[in-house]
Amino acid sequence: MKNKLKYLPTFLFLAFVFVLSALFIVLPKSEYSSSEKRYLEKFPETNFETIVNGKFESGFESYLADHFPFRNAWVGINAYYNYSIGNNGNDGVYICKDNYLINEPVSEDNRIENNAQAIADFSKNVDVPVTVTIAPSTGYVMNNVLPAVHDSYNDDKMFETIMFQLYKENSGTISFVDLRDAFKKEAEKGTQLYYRTDHHWTTEGAYTAYKELCNKLNIKATPKNEFDIENYKGFYGTTYSTSGFWLTPADDIQVWNNKNNSEKNITVTITEGDESKTYHNLYFLNHLKEDDKYPVFLDGNHAVVNIKNKNIKDGKVLIVKDSFCHSLAPFLADNFNTVTMVDMRYYKNSISDMVKEGNYDQVLFVYGIDNLATDSDLVWIK
Amino acid sequence: MVFSRGIFLFAYLPAVLLIYYLVPRKARNIFLFFANLVFYGWGEPIMVLLMLVSIVINYIGGYFVEKFKPDKGKAKIPLVLTIIADIGILAFFKYIGLLISTLNLLPFLNLPIIEVSLPIGISFYTFQTMSYVIDVYRDDAPVSKSLINFGTYVALFPQLIAGPIVRYKDVSEQIQHRTETLEQFNKGVKLFLVGLAKKVIIADQMGAMWSNMLATTSPNGILGNWVGITGYTLQIYFDFSGYSDMACGLGNMLGFEFLKNFNYPYISKSITEFWRRWHISLSTWFREYVYIPLGGNRKGVPRQIINLLIVWFCTGLWHGASYNFILWGMYYGIILIIEKFVLRKLLDKLPSAIQHLYTIFIFMLGWVIFYFEDMGEMGSFIVSLFTLENGIISQQALTITLHNLPLIIVAIIASTPLGATLYNKVKDRNYIWILESVYTLAVMIIVVAAIINQSYSPFLYFRF
Repeated sequence: MKNKLKYLPTFLFLAFVFVLSALFIVLPKSEYSSSEKRYLEKFPETNFETIVNGKFESGFESYLADHFPFRNAWVGINAYYNYSIGNNGNDGVYICKDNYLINEPVSEDNRIENNAQAIADFSKNVDVPVTVTIAPSTGYVMNNVLPAVHDSYNDDKMFETIMFQLYKENSGTISFVDLRDAFKKEAEKGTQLYYRTDHHWTTEGAYTAYKELCNKLNIKATPKNEFDIENYKGFYGTTYSTSGFWLTPADDIQVWNNKNNSEKNITVTITEGDESKTYHNLYFLNHLKEDDKYPVFLDGNHAVVNIKNKNIKDGKVLIVKDSFCHSLAPFLADNFNTVTMVDMRYYKNSISDMVKEGNYDQVLFVYGIDNLATDSDLVWIK
Repeated sequence: MVFSRGIFLFAYLPAVLLIYYLVPRKARNIFLFFANLVFYGWGEPIMVLLMLVSIVINYIGGYFVEKFKPDKGKAKIPLVLTIIADIGILAFFKYIGLLISTLNLLPFLNLPIIEVSLPIGISFYTFQTMSYVIDVYRDDAPVSKSLINFGTYVALFPQLIAGPIVRYKDVSEQIQHRTETLEQFNKGVKLFLVGLAKKVIIADQMGAMWSNMLATTSPNGILGNWVGITGYTLQIYFDFSGYSDMACGLGNMLGFEFLKNFNYPYISKSITEFWRRWHISLSTWFREYVYIPLGGNRKGVPRQIINLLIVWFCTGLWHGASYNFILWGMYYGIILIIEKFVLRKLLDKLPSAIQHLYTIFIFMLGWVIFYFEDMGEMGSFIVSLFTLENGIISQQALTITLHNLPLIIVAIIASTPLGATLYNKVKDRNYIWILESVYTLAVMIIVVAAIINQSYSPFLYFRF
């Protein structure tokens, strides 16, 4: 018995290798990975040419990696293993106190200056006031939950850069809504401004930004008690899926319904290229049943989204934005007859022409700081 | 193909082991020969042709050396021609770019640059094929009658792309007659797992730390850069020795026994000792096939110094087609000469801690030269190791250091024989199979998790 047992390690090794190989061959292959939000590699084209030029080989390796048995479990083991040896943030996400998963700070070597400059230049091309508001990063606002060892969040420096770029050549036409103090104050009170498993602000975070924005624009923010707040469970966001920390509990996602809004007064038109679709709701609850729940806010990323509120007589605002704005725009719909969101990633025509042709009376820029620091589409704005 | 990838562990290895042990013993070399070609050609099948050409040239060379051997003078002709062909192929594929760019430094020359992609492992297998014809010429090994057997030796997948450089005389017997045993297979699995852990768990992480340190946006400070180069020092040892361990382990699984390539080089007390412990198969090769034929130490001190410099110039150049490798080789050549004639006696009198510190300092500085192909970057990095103008350590560098500190400590301990000593103490106990099983599973789980997570990790000694 003892003699046989000494071969157990070898047996385990062989079993490990052979069983996983066999499972790889027999297990059904999924086409799509929801945690990565991408289609998985298909079996490569197999012929003499692809073998000789190496396409088959590299394709097969990707195929193997993509369809490896229990793939997500391995990614999770790797995440927790690295965390256990003190290397928190190995895959770009810190696991923090109170179950927060927070993106590492963006590199200091970034595009913030160019992007702020692009906004400043753009404001000279339009005759209407331009207001800029930027969401601070989760790590900056929630610094009390960060792990002891982490890279520093340079939001302060980036905000200074933005303001410097915006104000240096402009007089009066452009204004900046600095959310830092308001967010820090709310966070201290214990308000959950950011999701724990996603990089976005929560609906409450968006509402905090909305109040600050209203202050600056001299309009009246809808009081919180005028909303019916619904809680939906089971939201796992982007920092969850990139980190591999699968044991983190899900977030709640909140939908704030203004009691005065109904199908009668709200019209949402979503335009993608030449195609337009019309809806009569601000929240797309069907997405709450899917893996990716964030599109509950205005159906996710689209080139142009137009919201009309018949209850409001006037006011037309055009917003150049990233996905942070999706949860903010429904609030603004209570103050403007028309709110139009444009996403520079998908919309390639002139924004200033759009402002003129649509008779907009103001332009808003809404971005998350990390997106603004890495975005490469905004510089093309004209 | 590389051992630490999913394609090797979960497709190639199980298939090869299964078929190898299913086919009759006589057919195993033929099977191995073709399996080797699949391993080598994976991703770049065209390079298989070059290797086949090399195999055929050396096989024919060996045949004629053997045929003419009664007359040593006559046998020298095929020997020299074969060596010229081997070095010619290596020079063309590896050094033509360096040669042309060097010649173009001359004001009147403007040669066109030739782009050749470097065949994987060419430096390793060329040295193996050369050892064959030389061993046959010297009567150190019998000529190979079978082309398949010879091809199996040259292309043997475990050591094909990153060594160890197996001399023909060490395995000629095994190629023809070997009996695979369960005992040896068992030993092979253990060695393979040690190598796999060294490569994936330590080397890759240390490599990531070093590149993070190089990629920071502000200067790291003196301590930060020392931590960085410590990471690289650990990476290169665990990467390369891990690869050698995996090679020897896989060899065992197929019934081969290769010589040890690394023997805890970082515990050396002198650079002379370091080079007896680092990449042993390469130093042995150069000693046997270059240094001793040049006359070694038998022709007086001036000639010995020249011989040493020639050997270390070649050693440097072998590591890569770039000036920093030559510099790195000469750096060691000169230090070894100084140690041999001056420093040796002095060093012996010093406390052993000082001897260790001296050695560690020299090889770490060596890795700086080894890493930076750009002389300007090398220079400023070396300066940064000795000046305080950028402070002690930057915030970013401190974060990187603290995140990796536990593994750095583990790696430093693992580069000493402590683990092996402890293992030897308990290896005959009854319960050892429990520890070994836990170890096996832990390594496999962590390694597979890391492989699946990154699914890409380039090998350091890949393109040498």
